[in-house]
Amino acid sequence: MKRVQLQRWSSTVLSPRARTVSRLHQHLYGAGSRCQSTASPLQVDSNAQSNLGDASFEDVELMKHVRSAHKRKGNLKYPSPPVDAAINSAKLAALHARLYLPSRLPPQTLARALVDASADPNADFNNESLATLGHDLLTYYTTEHLLCTYPRLPLTVIFAAMYAYAGPKTLAAMAREWGVEHASLPGGEVDPGLLQFRRVEPGTDIDATPNARTPRPYAAQKAWRMTVTSKIFYDDEFGDAFKGPATSGEGVTAELASATFVRAVMGAIYLHAGRPAAKRFFEQHFLSRHLNISELFNFSQPARDLARLCARENFEPPVARIISETGRKSRHPVFVVGIFSGQDKLGEGAGASLIEARERAALSALKGWYLYSPLNVRVPSSMEEEGAASWKPVYVDLGEVIV
Amino acid sequence: MATSMAASKRPFLTLPFLLPSWSDSITLGSRRYQSSYRRTKQRLRVKPDASFGSSNQGHDQIIYNPPSSAPSVYHTPSKFLPSNDVRRSMRTEDTATVNATSEINELPNVYRSDPERKYHLTPADVEEIRKLRLSDPMTWSRHKLAKRFECSPLFIALVCEASPEKKQIQRQVLEAVQSQWGPKRRMAREDRKLRREAWGRDE
Repeated sequence: MKRVQLQRWSSTVLSPRARTVSRLHQHLYGAGSRCQSTASPLQVDSNAQSNLGDASFEDVELMKHVRSAHKRKGNLKYPSPPVDAAINSAKLAALHARLYLPSRLPPQTLARALVDASADPNADFNNESLATLGHDLLTYYTTEHLLCTYPRLPLTVIFAAMYAYAGPKTLAAMAREWGVEHASLPGGEVDPGLLQFRRVEPGTDIDATPNARTPRPYAAQKAWRMTVTSKIFYDDEFGDAFKGPATSGEGVTAELASATFVRAVMGAIYLHAGRPAAKRFFEQHFLSRHLNISELFNFSQPARDLARLCARENFEPPVARIISETGRKSRHPVFVVGIFSGQDKLGEGAGASLIEARERAALSALKGWYLYSPLNVRVPSSMEEEGAASWKPVYVDLGEVIV
Repeated sequence: MATSMAASKRPFLTLPFLLPSWSDSITLGSRRYQSSYRRTKQRLRVKPDASFGSSNQGHDQIIYNPPSSAPSVYHTPSKFLPSNDVRRSMRTEDTATVNATSEINELPNVYRSDPERKYHLTPADVEEIRKLRLSDPMTWSRHKLAKRFECSPLFIALVCEASPEKKQIQRQVLEAVQSQWGPKRRMAREDRKLRREAWGRDE
């Protein structure tokens, strides 16, 4: 006997009714049918069963199939998959195991972390709150690591390093490495193991959105000078202006949705497994990524900066001396120049001309200053561990060289 | 002994089936230089560094011969270490043993001579410089003023600025010169600028 494929035409013929997004409506009507807890029975099931009650089919197999199809149809009216679907999702279980997440973190929360606010505007079912917590934790751990390990870094380099460790591009790359796939369209019937978000309409200019959320005064004056110090005050942790709030109708980019998911996972681990597990997750997934901080520098006049630095720190003025050279009269000469302050060598550089070698030597001397790292670095959050040794104040530097 | 080595090498090279296929074409070419094998070998026979010697002091030691490369920027110079850092006291022994003081002073300067700083200009002189430059910018250029007041052109630039007309004329002169440049020279100039920017990024 050929089975009737109810499931297919139930989804095509019976189109889901458009859901209103107003909060009031959700509270009045939505709250009754959707429950966060997995234990409470869903209203959909009882509805489906009462509808099916008068129909008397003898075939048990067929009845099972019809019931599941009806359940699927019931899911269609939700913008994101129901909570009980998370237990049966193989993708979700695989992701949980692949990330080696703590067993205290249930798959339901992981499923919630995969629902972006653009897919489900209901704050009880999307990952916005988890992502906010996760973002704060991530940026806090990254900042304390950077500031304690390299106390002399200039602010622009700190911003760049923060972006490299916890920026949206890195988080999106991590989500891709974790094997998180995107659902093409969010909905109640999709597998909860897929990342669900509403995509940006093709052809929209992402950068053109008006920036209404930035607290910076005179933000409209593009030609005005923006100091680095003001970026601490007015801008986000990466030194970029705050993005405008995502309005409910708009979509988000895949990069942003992936980043939000990774942050939400961090927040979920913190909530379910506690602080040590979150810290461990951060160290294993974020700090373990290799970042060569010495490549983030860009100096325009290193020799001048070094002279200012030596004057500030009461060192002897820097002198450039030729350590060795070869082929001065040839087409490809090489000069090795060292910068000395008194009897101490501050830096060394090689170049095809004396000017180049001197600039490179001054640059390496400046990097030597900025990349100073104390021994036995401890971060403030290590005091939260059990039986931590008494706190010794970390090294705090005067600040970068200002010319 | 060298002849026997050469003799044992030759039949191996003349049997092409023993070698991988890509070397077929170069076997003929390499045979030509067989005669120089011994000479090359001799030249490559470099005396090992003294630190590789078997018994220097008679006790165990660590052989540390780093390749000649630029020092790592993560190795903070001793002068840049804060006063309470342990590494500061640990490193002093190394530098004290070597008579580095005389060696460093003997190294040649990058510039021929250090410009002697005189600090001889008075506020009246500065006023004079400004007046001259404003009155006749064509005659009193930076270099001429520097020569007259025995200071550097940089100091003249710090003290006063050229008038807008003079800047405009200078810009026009530069444009006229640059309009004569062909594609090769223009590209070379642009490349030079890019290379200079790359120094700052340490590339």
